[in-house]
Amino acid sequence: MRLTKTMRWTALAACTALAVSACTTSSGKKSSDGDAGAGKKGGSISVELGEPQHGLVPQNTAESEGSEVLNALFAGLVDYDIKDNSPKLRVAESIETADATLWTIKLKDGYTFHNGEKVTAQSFVDAWNYGANQANAQEAMPFFDKIVGSEELAPGKDKTPTADKLKGLKVVDDKTFTVTLKAPFSQFKTMLGYNAFFPLPKAFFTDTKAFEEAPIGNGAFQIDGKWEHNKQIKVKRYENFPASDGKAKLDSVTFKIYDKLETAYNDLRANNIQITDKLPISAMATVAQEFGDRYIYKPESGVGYIGFPIATNPAFQNPGLRKAISMAIDREAITKTIFSGTRKPADDFISPIIPGYRQGALGEVATYNPAKAKELFTQSGGLPGNTIEIGYNADGGHKEWIEAVGNQLKKNLGIEVTFKPFEKFGAILTALGEKKYSGAFRMAWSMDYPSIENYLRPIFSKVAIENGSNYGGYVNEDFEAALAKADAAREDAEGIKLYQAADDILIKDLPYIPVYTYMSSAAYTKGVKNVNVNAQGQMDLANVELA
Amino acid sequence: MGRYVVRRIIQAIPVILGATFLIYALVFLLPGDPITALAGEKRQDPAVVAVLRDRYNLDDPFFLQYWHYLVGLFQGDFGEDYRGNQVVDVMKTAFPYTINLALIAIVIEMVVGITAGVIAALRRGRFIDNVVLISTLMVISIPVFVIGFVLQLVLGVKLNTDLGIDFFPVSFNEEAGLRSYLLPAYVLASTSLAYVARLTRTSLIEVMRADYVRTAVAKGLSPLRVVVRHGLRNALIPIVTFLGMDLGGLMGGAVITEGIFNIPGVGHQLFQSVYLRERTIVVGIVSALVMVYLFANLVVDLLYAVLDPRIRYE
Repeated sequence: MRLTKTMRWTALAACTALAVSACTTSSGKKSSDGDAGAGKKGGSISVELGEPQHGLVPQNTAESEGSEVLNALFAGLVDYDIKDNSPKLRVAESIETADATLWTIKLKDGYTFHNGEKVTAQSFVDAWNYGANQANAQEAMPFFDKIVGSEELAPGKDKTPTADKLKGLKVVDDKTFTVTLKAPFSQFKTMLGYNAFFPLPKAFFTDTKAFEEAPIGNGAFQIDGKWEHNKQIKVKRYENFPASDGKAKLDSVTFKIYDKLETAYNDLRANNIQITDKLPISAMATVAQEFGDRYIYKPESGVGYIGFPIATNPAFQNPGLRKAISMAIDREAITKTIFSGTRKPADDFISPIIPGYRQGALGEVATYNPAKAKELFTQSGGLPGNTIEIGYNADGGHKEWIEAVGNQLKKNLGIEVTFKPFEKFGAILTALGEKKYSGAFRMAWSMDYPSIENYLRPIFSKVAIENGSNYGGYVNEDFEAALAKADAAREDAEGIKLYQAADDILIKDLPYIPVYTYMSSAAYTKGVKNVNVNAQGQMDLANVELA
Repeated sequence: MGRYVVRRIIQAIPVILGATFLIYALVFLLPGDPITALAGEKRQDPAVVAVLRDRYNLDDPFFLQYWHYLVGLFQGDFGEDYRGNQVVDVMKTAFPYTINLALIAIVIEMVVGITAGVIAALRRGRFIDNVVLISTLMVISIPVFVIGFVLQLVLGVKLNTDLGIDFFPVSFNEEAGLRSYLLPAYVLASTSLAYVARLTRTSLIEVMRADYVRTAVAKGLSPLRVVVRHGLRNALIPIVTFLGMDLGGLMGGAVITEGIFNIPGVGHQLFQSVYLRERTIVVGIVSALVMVYLFANLVVDLLYAVLDPRIRYE
């Protein structure tokens, strides 16, 4: 076939044009998020989000991004006070117990799911039974193991569940159910605000897959359309949300999904999004000046440690040695120079925002004292080969501070320090779990629910070796006894005192060395007001208004 | 020519098969378990891990897993990722963005690069030639992410906040349409653009010395006609080769640009999937990219005949 030259070139151009236009993605549909700041009542805003890791099911979401969306879409039995993080009733009318073992939960009227279905006692019981069942492989499964009958639903690896309902859950009537725990647990009420304990509508069980992309919750916002992966998740005000709980003020919110915090921050500066609750380190130098009182900077729930595989490496078994290492670390310098103030020196195993935290509880142990550290180090017999290895994950910006710690140890204790970067945090955990790594390691903990207990049992108790985050393999029977005693307390205040006694044992033993606690930083544009972040550094969206 | 095209397409089959195998094996060999990657920073209950490993046949030996994948592939099933999303759907949403980005980038490369090269060649040794040489040298030596962040800050943020001109969106924005692609496409194209300019310059200078150009000039043809029809047309052959190879490169190399400008395309997806050990997605996307490469090469080879009629395919 012969083509004239002009025809050939026209054809080529046409092909290109066609390809371009064929690929233009539905730019026709117009959404309303452009009119933020228009000053009308209600209004719409966009906020920053990272792509959630799982389908949006409360029982399967443990990471911050998915939780952020779920917190807008769901209302739990209890909620946490934005100031002191104490639990306050939300969907629950009352949560009562006489012995911290049998709990009676009554629900308020007026809550409905976004499809109109009423929120009943059954909605909670069904959701918990689903979450507790090992066959459903939900991330939050371990949270149900305090309830009677959980071992039948979760018999362990390579076994099949023999029941699909927790014996400890009983529906009394539409608005009342009881929970029986295996042992007293004074913090149970506090735990109930965690998203694992959110209710699920019947629609979830008929089409789980659809629910993951467009969850039907009972919160102040309902989903608008579907989760558009890597792009956005849109939610709008749920009109039938009970006014007593506080209807959302905004008409709609778009969670815009970002890959890089730097891009989100630039979008915030250009007013393309209105709130971000995560700032890139590169912004820390200028954000206070640029955003003034629209920059939120407050303590958050996370604690960063240096951990030791005590169980597998005899070199680390002397508490005196761990104390010496702790005292040789200049926490102040690290948080200031390396983290530009995005962290604060740790002075307790408990985060400063949690009821029960005691300022300066670690005392001398966390006070930089090179001379004393050296002396203790020599007394403790030192390290084999006079070297220590510190492992960290290379994907999370930990290299700098770990190397700073290493240099301080080198200088103050006169030891050799080597570093072992792991590709990601999961790789360290796997290596420790399989006992393939025996050096010191970087570790961190962020709470699931704001209870002092959540900073003790999941990280340092015996049960956490198998099921939780006790990667050090630390075991102390006194500590176990102290926990059990605190669990059995009748009321919160008494419980907190007793948990502090358990904390004291950790401070003496120092299985991990707390180095810093996290600060959350958020910023918002002139277009919005009433912006607040909770203990996990997440936005309280229902109260946000256009300015 | 038809037979030539068919032969080339048949040759592509073993290449694609080999590529899927290699990629599958490479992702399989990466340390780290996809199920733990899925859990993020927290440890999952061993019982939950066991259920999930079983669900995705992760405890099967490598060849059995690959075989399952291949069988699915021949039935048109690209499989699903560990979050239960269909790989086809993931690719369908990601590819259009990257294709748009790469095509706009290549247009920018062609228009700006060739023009700059022609001007530099015709004004050899003069001021404008030096400007082109120095500016291309600068673009080549600055890393792409630096160019990206600087342009984003200057044209996206500063232009908007200081002068109120909101023409270049900071991050990808569906409503802004084509505008959203201009900045990232320019960033993506920048390095190649510099190469195209230099290649055009050298190639054209070479051709302009040829006898047939001297003849054309002697015939009294207008300078424009001489340069475009006799000079540039012959000079274009190495440039077309470069552009063709570059199209595949642009699509695969969009990881950085798509990250900076938050474009939900293939590069973005690929990076995430390698990180999360999502074998099926990585293999799917990479195989598709291999096909793009093969196709672009075929088009390049066919274009030679258009540019130089002495080249024939039988």
